Amino acid sequence: MIDGFIWIVKRISQLCGVFAAALIGAAVVIVCQMVFIRYVLNQNTIWQTDFVTYSLVAATFIGSPYVLLTRGHVNVDVLPHYLGRGARYWLALASVIVALAFCLLMTVLTFNFWHEAWTKKWLSESMWRARLWIPYSSMPVGLGILSLQYIADLINLATGREPPFGIKPAEVVDLDSPEVI
Amino acid sequence: MSPAVQGTIVLVVTLIVLLSGAPVAFGLGAISIAFLLLFHGVDSLQVVAETFYAGLQDFTLVSIPMFVMMGAAIGSSPAGKDLYEALDRWLYRLPGGLVISNLGACAIFAALTGSSPACCAAIGKMGIPEMRRRGYPDDVATGSICAGGTLGILIPPSITFILYGIATETSIGRLFLAGVVPGVMLTGLFMLWTLFIIWKRGFRSHAPDFRYSWKEKFQSIPKILPFVLIIVGVMYVLYGGVATPSEAAGVGAALCVTLAVVIYRLWNPADLWKILRDTTRESVMILMIIAAAVLFGYMLTSLYLTQTLAQAIADTHVNKWVLMALINLFLLVSGFFIPPAAIILMTSPILYPIIRAAGFDPVWFGVIMTINMEIGLIHPPVGLNIYIVNAIAPDVPVQRVMWGTIPYVICMMLQIVILCVFPEIATWLPDTLMGPIIGAK
Repeated sequence: MIDGFIWIVKRISQLCGVFAAALIGAAVVIVCQMVFIRYVLNQNTIWQTDFVTYSLVAATFIGSPYVLLTRGHVNVDVLPHYLGRGARYWLALASVIVALAFCLLMTVLTFNFWHEAWTKKWLSESMWRARLWIPYSSMPVGLGILSLQYIADLINLATGREPPFGIKPAEVVDLDSPEVI
Repeated sequence: MSPAVQGTIVLVVTLIVLLSGAPVAFGLGAISIAFLLLFHGVDSLQVVAETFYAGLQDFTLVSIPMFVMMGAAIGSSPAGKDLYEALDRWLYRLPGGLVISNLGACAIFAALTGSSPACCAAIGKMGIPEMRRRGYPDDVATGSICAGGTLGILIPPSITFILYGIATETSIGRLFLAGVVPGVMLTGLFMLWTLFIIWKRGFRSHAPDFRYSWKEKFQSIPKILPFVLIIVGVMYVLYGGVATPSEAAGVGAALCVTLAVVIYRLWNPADLWKILRDTTRESVMILMIIAAAVLFGYMLTSLYLTQTLAQAIADTHVNKWVLMALINLFLLVSGFFIPPAAIILMTSPILYPIIRAAGFDPVWFGVIMTINMEIGLIHPPVGLNIYIVNAIAPDVPVQRVMWGTIPYVICMMLQIVILCVFPEIATWLPDTLMGPIIGAK
C-alpha cells in the first residue's frame, strides 16, 4: 500500500518533469519564431511573449515535484552534515513538515486564485487576451503534486526508506548534480 | 511591536529555517506566510497567490532558462575538453603555459556556460590530472581550478547578474559589460599568483618532449570557434540593442543545442533529454527561489522592515566606505553558508536602497556582490567547487584543496579592494558602450 503510493507519486513527479522540460523546449522554439517574425519579417508578434512567459511559469510549478524528487531544490545542508544521525533525523522531519505545510497552504491559496480567474473569466491585458485560468491552473496542479511528493518524502523518511536529507554514510559529490550558480 | 524588534525576529527565524536544511524556496515562502499571518492576520493571505505568481510573470526571467540551456548544451558536450586541448596546444611551450591554459580555459568556458560548478568540473577533469602529471603541487593544481571555476558567475553571460538585475531593476546588459574587465583582471590575478607560487616553490616549468605541429594547432580550433562565435553574437545582439536579453538568450540556446548536435553528434534522445533535464532542474530551482524571494520581499516591505533598515542606516551617518565594508562582510559571511542565487534574491531588495542612498553605483555594486558570491563558492563550509574538485581528485585530501583555495580567496578580496578604489574598472566599459545613464532596465 505505502510502496504503491510512493511508486505512483514518483511516476507522477517524473511525468511532471517531462512535461516541464517540454514546456521549456517549446518556449525556446517560440522565442526563435518570435525573433524571426519580429526581426526578419519585420512584423508584429501577438501571442508569443505571453505564451513563453506562461510556459515558463507553468514549467516552474509543474516541474517542481520532479526537482524535489531528484533533490534539485537547493538547500543549506551545512548543519545536517555536522549533526549526528538522531539529530539529523529530527531536523529533516521538521524541515519536511515546514515545507509540506507551505505547499499545502499554497495549494489551497492558489486554487482559490485560479477559481476566481475561472468564475470571473479574467483575461490577460495583452493583445492576445488569453484566458488566465489556463496559465493559473499550473499553480494548484504543480503545488498539489509537490505536496504529494512531500508526503511521499515524509513517509520515506519516517519509515527509514530514505536517509535524512539523502545523506548516506559515505557521501560523495555527484558531478551530474544540479549546478548551483 | 517596533520594526526593529520585528526585523530581529524575522532575521533569526529566517536563519533558523534556512539552516534547518529545508529547500531555500519553500523555507522562504513558509517564513513569509508565517510572518504575514502573525503581524497582519488571515486577510493578508489573499494576495499571497497573486504575489507568488506575479514574481515569475516577467519576460526578462525567460532569459534564465535560456542561458541555463546554453550552458547545459555546452556542458553536456566535450566542448570543455576541446577548449582545454586547444589552449594547451597553443600555449604548451610557454613557461607556466599549463597554468595559463587552465585558467584561460576556465575563463572562456565560464563565458560559454555561465556556471561555476560546470566550469570547474569540465576544465578540472582534464586540467587537474595534467597539472599533477607534470609535477605541479596538489594544492596549486586543485586550488587554481576551484578558483578558475568561480569566474563563471562574473564573466558574462552570468545568471548571477541576471538575478541581480531583476531584483534591483538594473540593466542586465550593463551588468554583463561591467563584469568583463573585472573578470579578465581576476583571471590575470589568479594566473599571476599561480605562476608566482610554483616559481617560489622551486617548480620550473619545462617544455614537454614533444611538439604540436601547426596543423595540429589549427585543427583544435574549428570545434570551439562556433560556440565562441555564438556567445560573441549573443553579446553583440544584446548590447547593440537589436534584441532583448531573453530573445538573444533564446536564439543562443537553440543555436548551442544545434551545434552540440551537429558538431558533437548529440542526437541520441538520451543526450538531448540530459540537456533538457539539466535545464529544467536548474531553471525550476532558480525560478522557484525567485517566486519565494518576491513573496519574502513583499512581507518585508509590508512590515516596513526594508524601509526602516534603510532609514536607520542613513540616520547613523556612517562613512559610506565603512558601510560598504560592513555590507561586504555581511555578504561574505552569508556566502559561506547560503547559495549565491538565494543571497542575491533575498538581500538585493534590502541592500539596493541602502547603496543608492549612500551614492554607490548599482552596476558597480552588482560586480562587488558577485565577487563576494564567488568567494563563497571556494570557501568552507559550503564551498561547492571544493567538493567538485575533490570528486575529480579524490586522493587529494579536502583540507589540502581548501588550503589551496585560500590564496585565491585573497586575490578576490584584493579585486574587491581594487574595485572600491577604482570603480571605473567595472563602470568604464558599460558607460563607454551604452552611455553613462544608470538604473534603467
